[in-house]
Amino acid sequence: MANIEEALRSLTSAKQRTILALTGIIIGIGSVIGMVSIGAIVENEALKQFQDMGVDVAVVRREFSDKTAEMKLQDIFELKKHVRDILEVAPFLGSGGEYTLHGKKTYLEQTGVTESFFTLNMIRLREGRLITDLDAYRCFCVIGKAIGDFLRGIGITNLVGNQIILGDRIYTIVGVLDHVPQGGMRPCDINNAVLTHITTAGRFFQYRSIDSFMVRLGGQKTTTEIKTEVKDYFNKRSKGLSVTILTAEELIANMKKQMRLFTLLLGAIGSISLIVGGIGVMNMMLVSVAERRMEIGLRRALGALQRDIQTQFIIESVTLCLVGGVIGILLGVLVSLVFAKLSQWEFLISYGSIALGFGVATAVGIFFGYYPARAAAKLDPIKALRS
Amino acid sequence: MSMLKAVDIYKSYKVGPTEVNVLRGISIEVERGELLAVVGASGSGKSTLVHMLGLLERPTSGDYYVEGEKICYDDDRALSTLRNQKIGFVFQQYYLLPRLTALDNVGLPLVYRGLRISEIKEQAMAFLRKVGMEDRAHHRPNEMSGGQQQRVAIARAIVGKPSVILADEPTGALDTQTGQEIMALIRKLNEEEGITAVVITHDPKIAMHCQRREEIVDGLIVHQDQREVV
Ligand SMILES: Nc1ncnc2c1ncn2[C@@H]1O[C@H](COP(=O)(O)OP(=O)(O)OP(=O)(O)O)[C@@H](O)[C@H]1O
Ligand SMILES: [Mg+2]
Repeated sequence: MANIEEALRSLTSAKQRTILALTGIIIGIGSVIGMVSIGAIVENEALKQFQDMGVDVAVVRREFSDKTAEMKLQDIFELKKHVRDILEVAPFLGSGGEYTLHGKKTYLEQTGVTESFFTLNMIRLREGRLITDLDAYRCFCVIGKAIGDFLRGIGITNLVGNQIILGDRIYTIVGVLDHVPQGGMRPCDINNAVLTHITTAGRFFQYRSIDSFMVRLGGQKTTTEIKTEVKDYFNKRSKGLSVTILTAEELIANMKKQMRLFTLLLGAIGSISLIVGGIGVMNMMLVSVAERRMEIGLRRALGALQRDIQTQFIIESVTLCLVGGVIGILLGVLVSLVFAKLSQWEFLISYGSIALGFGVATAVGIFFGYYPARAAAKLDPIKALRS
Repeated sequence: MSMLKAVDIYKSYKVGPTEVNVLRGISIEVERGELLAVVGASGSGKSTLVHMLGLLERPTSGDYYVEGEKICYDDDRALSTLRNQKIGFVFQQYYLLPRLTALDNVGLPLVYRGLRISEIKEQAMAFLRKVGMEDRAHHRPNEMSGGQQQRVAIARAIVGKPSVILADEPTGALDTQTGQEIMALIRKLNEEEGITAVVITHDPKIAMHCQRREEIVDGLIVHQDQREVV
């Protein structure tokens, strides 16, 4: 206790040197925390994909190389008949932007969907009804939870049956959705979406071409075989149209690859910084020992054992590293927060990584503090005192 | 049984190829409750002797007993424990730790006895009171005068109730007046509390305070003096 107090006091008395030594530790621990946290975020995201939507979901995308070849709605609907292992298709058309609802501006994603979109994305209803294929060409919509909350916020209580104007069309709200977690294969943030039938959207959107749709895979064939069949199908339907198919498994694999790259980078930065920081700490401790020879000699004269001196300096070095560690942990959490935001994945704090951060900081403190502490303990008391 | 007993102590240092003989066969005894002055010229070996008596320096040859117990110099742990329990040091340069308050400086020897912090503070306060420094308990050394610092150092030397306090020129860095006050304090502690003390000095006026005086010349005790105390 008194030792830690002492340690903090001696650290604050040499600010510049402290900051220098700390920088390495901060970056090092920050990287370690970031690395582990990002791992946890990706793991969580992958798990969510499995639990939320299943791994039998895939997204088919039109390749943009050929502008003239369009993916027609009719062809998408008929895909099921031609490729037997495609159990369901859910095409969508979307565009996001600022809209004015009842006089208040908000961002929303206007998305055209089919009935199957709701089942494929595991979307649950909160009130009213969903959009069905009977709503084709009609101006009915369901709204995501955030939009519902927004409308309630501006004083509209009866959402179902209410009308909203988007562009130059009036839509009647027929349902409000439950919260839908973002990410995975989901094409957009459904909580901020106004969903109409895809045919309705197709009529009023300026950009009508469908770029991608979701499918559910099934049956015995491998994904590679299904992919070939789907590609052949579209190529036959529309000359020169080529598509790519991304399955949930591939998405997870991609996520992990992305993570691996990032963690590798952070791991490298982290270990180098920790070594640099550790050497900084060691240097600082050596200087501290040299500056405090009188103190060491005096303590020994007053009866301190070699072990007491050693412990004192190791506590000092560990305290230094823990101060760096705490800042580093904050930094690491920040890094993983930024990473999660950029990847549009759910952010989470991994408590294991924080414990690891403290562990690593302590270990660095002990490891790099050992030699200076040992040197201090081994000083001849009288020589130390006389200097 | 004497508090300290050194028998035929030699101490030499190797400086390059030559050997410097600093203590050349010193025998000395310090009795319980005694106030002993050791005088001598600069370089005569006074500090070396006091460090030897304080178990900071290992004699080249000779035997040394503290409270009848022969010192074995190979056990650093035992030496540290003995220093902590039997010896109280007072130095010319005070050697107070600059970052600690007077109270914490005084409590330092007790830290190495593993006492509880509250107990240490209580004891330290009691001893600060003894040297008349209780109102400076929470001051740092640089906020105190030399004489005040030396008082704090004396409190630190006696806080652990050692067998003997060894003061190496305790007044050496102080003006005459303050030096006399410090010496009077040591004498008072000796007379009122029965604290055994060895005071190194080269100032005869300081030595006059002591019942017994020894002179050291070139590493040898040359004569004993039992004149009256002033
Ligand atoms: N570690 C050492 N190595 C070599 N010589 C030493 C060492 N320590 C002391 N000496 C020598 O021993 C002699 C006695 O030193 P000491 O400090 O005991 O003298 P002193 O009587 O205390 O002198 P002063 O009154 O100046 O303090 C000196 O000549 C000194 O140079
Ligand atoms: Mg001396």
